[in-house]
Amino acid sequence: MHLLLVGISHRTAPVELRERLDFQAHGLDNALRALGDRNVASEAVIVSTCNRAELYAACEHVEPTRAAIADFVGDYHGIDRATVTPHVYGMTDLDAARHLFRVAAGLDSLVVGEPQILGQVKDAHTAAAAAHTSGTFLHRLFHSSFAVGKRVRTETGLGAGAVSVGFAAVSLSKKIFGDLKGRNVLVVGAGEMGKLTAMHMKSQGVHQVTIVSRTMAHAARTAEAIGGASAASWEELDTRLSDADIVITATGAATPILTKAHVESVMRPRRNRPLFIIDIAMPRDVEAAAGEIEQVFLYNIDDLQATVRENLARRASEVARAEQIVSEEVDKFGQWLRSRGVIPTVVALRQRFESIRRAELDRLASTLPADTRSRVDDITRLIVEKLLLTPTEQLKSVTDAETVGTYSEALTRLFALEQKPAAIEASDEQSAERRERGDRRVEPFIRPSKRL
Amino acid sequence: MNSIPLALYLAALVAYMLHFARRQPDVGRAATTLLVAGALAHTFVVGMQTMDVGHVPVTNASSAISTFVLLLVLAYLYTEMTTEERAMGAFILPLVVALQTIPALHPMAEEKADVLHGPLFGIHVSSLLFAYASFALACVIGITYVLLFKEIKAKHLGFFYARLPSLQVLDTMNQRAIVIGWVCLTIGLVVGAIWAGQAPSYDPRVQAMSLQDPKIFVAIVCWAVYSFELFAARRIGWGGRRAAYLSAVGFAIVLLNFLPISYFLTKSHNF
Repeated sequence: MHLLLVGISHRTAPVELRERLDFQAHGLDNALRALGDRNVASEAVIVSTCNRAELYAACEHVEPTRAAIADFVGDYHGIDRATVTPHVYGMTDLDAARHLFRVAAGLDSLVVGEPQILGQVKDAHTAAAAAHTSGTFLHRLFHSSFAVGKRVRTETGLGAGAVSVGFAAVSLSKKIFGDLKGRNVLVVGAGEMGKLTAMHMKSQGVHQVTIVSRTMAHAARTAEAIGGASAASWEELDTRLSDADIVITATGAATPILTKAHVESVMRPRRNRPLFIIDIAMPRDVEAAAGEIEQVFLYNIDDLQATVRENLARRASEVARAEQIVSEEVDKFGQWLRSRGVIPTVVALRQRFESIRRAELDRLASTLPADTRSRVDDITRLIVEKLLLTPTEQLKSVTDAETVGTYSEALTRLFALEQKPAAIEASDEQSAERRERGDRRVEPFIRPSKRL
Repeated sequence: MNSIPLALYLAALVAYMLHFARRQPDVGRAATTLLVAGALAHTFVVGMQTMDVGHVPVTNASSAISTFVLLLVLAYLYTEMTTEERAMGAFILPLVVALQTIPALHPMAEEKADVLHGPLFGIHVSSLLFAYASFALACVIGITYVLLFKEIKAKHLGFFYARLPSLQVLDTMNQRAIVIGWVCLTIGLVVGAIWAGQAPSYDPRVQAMSLQDPKIFVAIVCWAVYSFELFAARRIGWGGRRAAYLSAVGFAIVLLNFLPISYFLTKSHNF
């Protein structure tokens, strides 16, 4: 069984193309069903986000599957294959596994370490499981990727720190005030920037958002646009300032609207309750000296951008540790993959033994009384089981691909296992199930219901 | 006897430091486990001494420190469990280990004087020790507050920013510790005064009990400092950082009273 990945991402394809290849557009389950109907591969999972569309498939033969997937994608999205092909990347086996692990860890994201991707990968697997397109193989692969995502998150700082100005402002507010519920936010200026920041704060569940603007009508309109915010006139600025915990200034004024003396006068009635001023205006709305006042925290847009840059740099320095974790997990997955390589040989070997036993038993059947027959059946079954126990366990404990190949080949030749491929295929259904349960122990070859 | 808890506290200190630096949840749980083990061992030690002498071992500086350390650890464990915040452990444990070294290296025999029996004496000493433990906690919380405050104010969001809880949480924890400490301190001082009035006056130490005695004087100063922090500071706008500084100053006075004055200066409390 091989693992095949075919996909496009923000690294290889422009946004217009990614939009056209979005599998979420008509529901991921529809896409999975369409894929399942075509019988492209034994197992398949589609990971589709706004930054990537990737198809993970488990198959016996890579090239035909790759072609079948390309056909499927072209037909499903009604897109000419020639336009897609230059942007597509394909990987197999451990390279594909490494890619998925890096994706789940956030290493392949546009913003390194962003937290949503792990959830999206989980959703992709859940959808595939619900549509019955994923099985043992991809189940194992995706669960390993979840483990990678979790380890990277807890063991490295890859996802730490805010990496956008809005989040930086929110995370600073939280560091000063703890919970933002019950806090009052005052926005000075009714422009677009102020509105966006206010909406960001609103989404964090603050108690009240108030907009103050020189033109009352502007303030009212912006407050309405935010929803659940109130507007106040310019004359009320001082009283609103003394009520507020977080002040966002974003006016187009050419000179500072809040001087140090002004802020000082507001702080007195507040009894020095902390005040967090976020000045996102250009030129600045608040005199820099206001930041010297005890219990006043003043950040302007440059300061916020500087913390964002610092956080990005810190994330970048964590990449090596995250890659290390990815490599460890790829190794583990590789071991599992290699140990699976012997499974067809083990199955064939058991079938060969079983068919011999059964043939001899059938030959004896007519000459034996019923009770003796069932005892002979039991005894021969036990003998075969015990004979096969050690070689099976030995085979399964081999993890390096070369030895697995050598052993398999030796067994295939010694027992002429390839001579009866029909028998092997017939019981493929059963053995798939047995593979799941029987990784460590030898299953009885015959179930009680099948006894003579 | 006091060295077993000391060893466990030392191990817990290392674990808390590691947890603070690397933020691995397993290490944090190990740190708490070690500290709980240390507290249990310590409770056993103090319990044995109590059985031995018939009252809580507080009548000389060494054993009083040992009991104080136990109370501090218990107070810290209480805050850790209620706030689910382990960052403070890295700051408390150095104090715990430093103080516990004294009784471990320099044990003193517990005095069995008649003058020390009775419930009033027990209440006096235990409420004061508990007050000091709360103040120690408040001091450490105050220090962390200042560290975080400085990082945010200087717009350099680094080590402490990533590890400490918010300023608001630290301020609330500090205030709570001060309230508990102040109540216990008040009870301890009042009960102490009543006890001194009743105590047999033939003992020279009881005769020395007056406001001029350094130990008693400094205790009153402490009470004044914490009363100011509790009732006046916030009204005149001394919130946040200044309150945090006050907590540190207050505890410095407590330590002064506890160590040098107990060992060398006081005439009334040298049991």
